[in-house]
Amino acid sequence: MKTLQRLKNLAQVAVLITLPSLSALASSHREAPMIADDPLADNTDVYAFRIPDDPNSIMLIANYVPFQLPHGGPNYYTFGENIRYEIRIDNNLDTPGDDIIYRFTFSIIDEDPTTFFNIRLGLQNRKTSYTLEKSTDGGSTFAAVITNGTVPPYNVGERSITSPIGLGTDYATLMASAITTASSGETVFCGPTDDPFFVDLGGIFDLGNAPRMRGVPRDGLACKNVHTIAIKVPIAMLQKDGKDPSMAVDILDSDFVIGVWASASRRAIRTLQTDGSIAETGEWIQVSRLGMPLTNEVVIPIGTKDYWNSLTPYNEDPDYFSSFYNPELALYMDDDLFGPAVPAFSPLRVQRNSLGAFDFGNGQDGLFGLKGSSDVAGTALDDALFGNLLLPGPGQPRSVDLWPIFHTGVPNVRPYQLATGKGGDPLAAGKPFVNNFLPNGGDMLRLNMAVPPTDRDDPAFSTLGLIQAAVLGLTDPLYTSTTDLQWIPNMDGFPNGRRLEDDVTRIELQAVAGVVLAAIGLWYDDYDPSDPMASVLTDDLFNVLGYTTGIEENDAPFNDIFPFVAMPWSGTGKCSGEIAGNLANCGEPNALLASSITENSAVLSWSDEGVNNYQIRYRNTSSGGPVTTTLSSGNNVTISDLDPCSTYEFLIKIKCPRTGVFTSATSTFTTSGCLRTADSDDQLSMDFFPNPAINSLSVSYTMVNSDQMRVRIHDLTGRIMLETLTNPSVDGSGTMSLDLSSLPSGQYYLQLIQNDQQLVRQFAVMK
Amino acid sequence: MFKLFKHSSIFPGREKTRSGRAGKCLPILLLAALPLGLLASSHREAPLISNDPLADNTDLYMFRSPDNPGMITIIANYIPAELPWGGPNYYTFGENVRYEIHIDNNVETAGDDIIYRATFQQVNEDPTTFFNIRLGQQNRKTTYTLEKSTDGGSTFTAIIVGGMVPPNHIGDRSIQSPVGLNTNYRTLLENSIMTASSGERVYCGPADDPFFVDLGGIFDLGNAPRESGPSRDGLARYNVHTIAIQVPISMLQKDGKDVGMASDILDPDFVIGAWASASRPAIRTLSSSGTSYSGEWVQVSRLGMPLTNEVIIPIGMKDYWNSRSPYAEDTAYFNSFYNPELALYMDDDLFGAAVPAFSPLRIQRNSLGAFDFGNGQDGLFGLKGSPEVAGTALDDALFGNLLLPGPGKPRSVDLWPIFHTGVPNVRPYQLATGKNGDPLAAGKPFVNNFLPNGGDMLRLNMAVPPTDRDDPAFSSLGLINAAVLGLTDPAYTSSADLQWIPNMDGFPNGRRLEDDVTRIELQAVAGVVLAAIGLWYDDYDPSDPLATVLTDDLLNVLSYTTGVEENDREFRIRFPYVQMPWPGDF
Repeated sequence: MKTLQRLKNLAQVAVLITLPSLSALASSHREAPMIADDPLADNTDVYAFRIPDDPNSIMLIANYVPFQLPHGGPNYYTFGENIRYEIRIDNNLDTPGDDIIYRFTFSIIDEDPTTFFNIRLGLQNRKTSYTLEKSTDGGSTFAAVITNGTVPPYNVGERSITSPIGLGTDYATLMASAITTASSGETVFCGPTDDPFFVDLGGIFDLGNAPRMRGVPRDGLACKNVHTIAIKVPIAMLQKDGKDPSMAVDILDSDFVIGVWASASRRAIRTLQTDGSIAETGEWIQVSRLGMPLTNEVVIPIGTKDYWNSLTPYNEDPDYFSSFYNPELALYMDDDLFGPAVPAFSPLRVQRNSLGAFDFGNGQDGLFGLKGSSDVAGTALDDALFGNLLLPGPGQPRSVDLWPIFHTGVPNVRPYQLATGKGGDPLAAGKPFVNNFLPNGGDMLRLNMAVPPTDRDDPAFSTLGLIQAAVLGLTDPLYTSTTDLQWIPNMDGFPNGRRLEDDVTRIELQAVAGVVLAAIGLWYDDYDPSDPMASVLTDDLFNVLGYTTGIEENDAPFNDIFPFVAMPWSGTGKCSGEIAGNLANCGEPNALLASSITENSAVLSWSDEGVNNYQIRYRNTSSGGPVTTTLSSGNNVTISDLDPCSTYEFLIKIKCPRTGVFTSATSTFTTSGCLRTADSDDQLSMDFFPNPAINSLSVSYTMVNSDQMRVRIHDLTGRIMLETLTNPSVDGSGTMSLDLSSLPSGQYYLQLIQNDQQLVRQFAVMK
Repeated sequence: MFKLFKHSSIFPGREKTRSGRAGKCLPILLLAALPLGLLASSHREAPLISNDPLADNTDLYMFRSPDNPGMITIIANYIPAELPWGGPNYYTFGENVRYEIHIDNNVETAGDDIIYRATFQQVNEDPTTFFNIRLGQQNRKTTYTLEKSTDGGSTFTAIIVGGMVPPNHIGDRSIQSPVGLNTNYRTLLENSIMTASSGERVYCGPADDPFFVDLGGIFDLGNAPRESGPSRDGLARYNVHTIAIQVPISMLQKDGKDVGMASDILDPDFVIGAWASASRPAIRTLSSSGTSYSGEWVQVSRLGMPLTNEVIIPIGMKDYWNSRSPYAEDTAYFNSFYNPELALYMDDDLFGAAVPAFSPLRIQRNSLGAFDFGNGQDGLFGLKGSPEVAGTALDDALFGNLLLPGPGKPRSVDLWPIFHTGVPNVRPYQLATGKNGDPLAAGKPFVNNFLPNGGDMLRLNMAVPPTDRDDPAFSSLGLINAAVLGLTDPAYTSSADLQWIPNMDGFPNGRRLEDDVTRIELQAVAGVVLAAIGLWYDDYDPSDPLATVLTDDLLNVLSYTTGVEENDREFRIRFPYVQMPWPGDF
């Protein structure tokens, strides 16, 4: 009761102070138009996590300068002068604004201005050092805690770093020796590193094509570096009363919540001089900020991205709110809206009729109908507790999940507890799993420092973060037998803070698809609450949990010691360009596509390669020789006189005009006219036995046609444990036996994928 | 012969006979006191511009178009190393930037004779989405105005208004699908080719970066070709933003002549120089309500010859170099050309041993037993004022101190003019063919792109016929290959007469997309141009009547390669020649 009263007080403060915007998918590389043109000040990611090997400390990491080519010479990337890079921490609801601010400023010198090389004979140009200042009074005063801190050089290459005509050392030594202890006790590293973020940028921003419908997902940040600011801070220094975690009342102690955000500021006036130099004067203006990943990348629309960057969590503009209450991404997860336009998101479908009562589709009321009712009395939705914070009005369905996740954190108050123990009533008390509620300001990364960290080598460690903790809390007998607060692995994961490993893109897309609502008992539409035999673990839920963007981990392993991020890629290593002589000539045709398929014709198209002549060859794979035709211009052709219900292979070939080299690509399609011409989910089916399985699983299925089908088994985190390809018979049906001998006991998903159709079912393995 | 020297009046030595024009020579000498650069295309080449990618001019090309030999194509690229998947705010030309291509065609008029100025505007067609393209609408949709000045920049006339910049090649769903633009990229690109009211054809938009270079290797202390592991094209699969303009030769030639009116294929009246730049307003003011720009336009990037500011100008001067124009070069740079840093690594008495990848590249330290071109040595300076150089370009009476400014500046006779004045068709700048062992004698002509009006520009003699790209003799070694043929191929060695030799239209006589300028410039630093005119490498013994001039040292230099010799995509055979941009979903 005391806690509730306290929350009530907090909420009233929150209503006055915050009203921030709620966002849904976000890390932030080139995320707004103006900052995209100022890479030095472009804040790409923020991380905050408790360190498994040093559980009394918190790691804070802020990254800047996106998309660095490891070989980006002759002026390799570094931090900018005339920029204030800041990491800000809020730990106390009773004090407005930041409680702790770390401010980094950098200066650059040329040790040998006579060379165009960056490093030569032990001397380094663009050599960068920094001053770290700290404020504990909200920015009124700053004290220098590091002066002349070393930023290691760029990892130019072996000759520059290792050889005697370079620096004559090795990069690990340079990196280790740049780690500095501040006079106030923090451990600090500033320098280039591998970009720890991973995401299929090319797929996602091509109208949500993640996982890619064709081709292989690609990590758009693989082989790229960033500049990292990493600080390790004792928890007692971050906790508002100086407590260390042993003094926490429990692992969700509200007094241990901090909010973290980072920013970059420049002086207001830049004056270009006629001698090529630049003068910077005037007030400091914030040009970039980041708290929650991806907020400004995929939640805030283009028209307001620059403005969003200029604000702080403490003065969010309510104009943004609707981007969180009704997020654009949810349009693509709703078959009544644009769902069909984004087939890659087809496993992600928002609750439109949860428990037969609640519609969370954009523009719908969500839980608003409960406002003021006796049902919500004593819950976080009770106006007496939090005012209008979570139910601000009708037509704002995501005010109860996405908005608080991004803007206040989630309190350990009904209904924000796992459905475990709720007996079917989402508003009842359930099993606690999160408390990072700090309604002081808007977009911040909020972490409850009292939650013990999950060892990275714990088999239960998962990149799904808090989602995985929720899954375990709902399904694992270790946790489902009681509603008592228990530590569940990955409770220290995003969105309770953010670990380097957390797959925030996937987590946020799942959150937009309503997975947090489901976790607290607002199940997906295919759960029938009137059926006493129904499982809440429905296909819709498994589809959301099994959804993956296809890029689930970083391309470089993280370090197990400070600063945890990986060394920067070398400018002469595998990430320094494409191997010469091993390149496309005029570019092999790609994006081969057969469309407008009938019983006897199809339109073949492909990416245009800018050459004049294409040769098109196609054949019925079960009979007959190839037919060849040529096309002098354009990049599509209609072929006819085909056999019905037949699989055709087609090949597009180009002769590169100068080199005369031929390049080609092939693909297949099946004409219609088969017994089964259906293409709707309803007609797909899958059965298997036994369940639980031991060493093998017999599967029978009916898919759309005889096109090649991909078969995957995922574990509960979505990790692919087994993958194979098979071809159904001509009517789309088939049987197979899967070898499970390599799988340990546990719950798994079986996924069948054919073109843009897929089926997912869960099964168990018991050894 | 002297017909080619009609502009020699600009030099002090001609004042007596052309006193009426004496006033013009001094500006040239002052202005032409320019730095001579050597390896350079220019991606992230100077500290400040590397932080302003929108205004970062990466490359400039200028060539006679083989499919349309009455036209010259000029291509200026900006925004280095664009990731094809660089969303959500895909790259485009910047607002508040003046992108300019400058052309000089007349030594008698100060400064630029023609200026093209492109400025860009952006609109968001659907500000409610974070996607760049959705349902036929495009955000950050970019259009441009192209203005032209023919009076040195005093007045400009708009020749294209509302020019289309195609969107980025985001991927199939954004470009081809019905929920995107429902078209294909080639259509978008070809629909964006505009015809200016003054007749030029213009394309402004994204393209595959046509440049190719092992950035990682070269900038790791000259590790090209890499000593271990394969060489890599550091720009493969990245895009740039291209401004391509195709201009009739008669519109570029100072008297309006078309190429049929050239006196020969090295007619000096057909030499033009080009450079490109980007300028921004002097004052940028950030505020919580947005960014505003005001003040004079200040040049922040420029490029004429490839790689000048990348590997010739040292770090301390790069930003300053970007702020200058070819007409206001600073003599402070000159020594970087007279005694280039790269030459330190091609000389065993200096740092040659420290850069093993360059070991095939060794400068003449004792050419013909007489001339030392090592850094700090005198080169040909000992000949100054002697009867041997009378009537040559080294004669003070012809060009003053231009080519022999003093002792200890050995490369004033090759690197400096290649980058700053172009090379005249005057002794000794003719191939050794027919010289009978005397480098100062008349030989076989092979180049004339002499236009000593300003410094760092890309100079092209438009009278030289183009080499077909599918000609078996076509070579990415450009003019170096023409020189090799002129020295060794019986089709050309039998006479010292002027003949068209394949690749005479190649770099450094202009620059074709295919030209391997990194290799060519490294070979030039190693003295290959000196060798071509008869200043052979040290292992040629002029006293041995049986010795061949094609010595091991020469063959080493000619066969030197960085390991990256061509672009990662073949070029298009039609305007704008650059290849379509890499798609973001590739």
